Amino acid sequence: MTAARRTGEIAIGILPIALVIALWHGIAMSGIAPAVLLPPPAAVFARLIEQAGNPQFLEHVGVTLFRLFAGFSIALVVGVTLGVAATGSKLIESLIKPLVRVLAPLPKVALYPAMVLILGFDDASKIALVVADAVFPILLATWQGTSAVDTKLVWSARAAGCPPRRALFTVVLMAALPSVLTGCRIGLIISCIVVFLAEMITSTDGLGYLLVRAGRNFQTVDMFVPLISISILGLTLNAGFNALRRWLLRGFAEEG
Amino acid sequence: MTRISAIPGLPPLIAAAALLALWELAAHTFDISGLPPAHVALREVPVILSDPEALLNILASIRRMLIGFALALSFAIPVGLMMGRARLVAAFFNPLLMIIYPVPKAALMPIIMLWLGVGDASKTLVIFLGVSLPVIYHSYQGARAVEEKMLWSAAAMGMNARARLLRVVFPAALPEIMVGIRTGLVLALITMVTSEMIARKQGVGDILFNALAMAQYETVYATIVIIGLLGFAIDVGFEWLRPRLVGWADPVHEIAVVGST
Repeated sequence: MTAARRTGEIAIGILPIALVIALWHGIAMSGIAPAVLLPPPAAVFARLIEQAGNPQFLEHVGVTLFRLFAGFSIALVVGVTLGVAATGSKLIESLIKPLVRVLAPLPKVALYPAMVLILGFDDASKIALVVADAVFPILLATWQGTSAVDTKLVWSARAAGCPPRRALFTVVLMAALPSVLTGCRIGLIISCIVVFLAEMITSTDGLGYLLVRAGRNFQTVDMFVPLISISILGLTLNAGFNALRRWLLRGFAEEG
Repeated sequence: MTRISAIPGLPPLIAAAALLALWELAAHTFDISGLPPAHVALREVPVILSDPEALLNILASIRRMLIGFALALSFAIPVGLMMGRARLVAAFFNPLLMIIYPVPKAALMPIIMLWLGVGDASKTLVIFLGVSLPVIYHSYQGARAVEEKMLWSAAAMGMNARARLLRVVFPAALPEIMVGIRTGLVLALITMVTSEMIARKQGVGDILFNALAMAQYETVYATIVIIGLLGFAIDVGFEWLRPRLVGWADPVHEIAVVGST
């Protein structure tokens, strides 16, 4: 793709976003919707910038980020380990397969009340929900990626004297890295969404709580701020992850 | 493969039974009021299902889910296919979708409620939004991967652009679209529960969180089991339908983006 074409496409991409904001501004200004229901975008963004310097607001963001990363890290370790183990051993595969079949289609949010009852209203139940939701895409992607790895690679490693368990992690997992990372990216976005939801349901802090609190007090401007924040957070995490992915996969052939 | 796993449906059944046994065991070991034993909670399931009011609530939830889901498919598949075939359309929608993706759709609920009220309209809209994104994404990927030669042949035989999209691109992209639909189904169920949990008026989510607020823990767990069964039933139904629609294709990749809202 040439540079000119790329800038052209970026310009086209900005267009709908600008249109949405312009439409939003137009409706808010025209007075069809009262400002209580739909605040003008300028007010929302001004508030967002104001809040970005507010230590109290940043504390809420920090709490959300902590839960997000705690949950995602646990899901990453568990998902990758189980995925590799399922490829490495027939026994573990026959144990995990039916469990995934039963648990994966279950809406995890529905489990949240049970987690609250068992783990309490604090961080633990929210992190548990993030883990429950993020672990399946990572597990499935790892499993699928590792089972598609060419067996000859393992044979070569074994012939060079690598013990089977080590071959699983140093050869198979590394060869399956693109697929694993795809699963991780899906898991990361899901974590982002789920942590927000959990905070909306039961919480005293975090971005989700800010939204609910503003909603209770009919402060519409403050309702938009956490929503835009979580969107920015998701975009930043996604961009960061893509950069990390490019760096990790620098030895792989470019795909897609 | 062993003989046991050759019987379809048996391994998941064993897994479910094992989970229930584990639950029963955990309840007896920890003995906290927040975790009633499995058999106590399961006894509540028929009680809820035979209560006409609760049943009506559950059916209302399912109806909203189906409407939202159907609307999302009829919107998302054409958009996704056009994005896959026209660079301009893709460039137009992609950044917008990237911005919307990490926003939990159910989090829009409080704002949509201000506009549309707590009734069916706002819940259906949220379900629609939740389902649309994965379906658009997978339709886009599927349409992008369609072989150019097939389109050339179709054009050479005199098909116009719309017929090509409908008769060539759509069937060719169908296996990938099915992946998106599967994700969408799971999301529909999740958004259904969360939207009802935020706009407490009726529905399964309302039963669930009301029971939690009133400390009726058996009802909480029984409702979770009902929602789980619903999710599993949808999944089984989909697995039954898929080979009948796209039996000609190899199962694409199984990474169903399970979860997320």
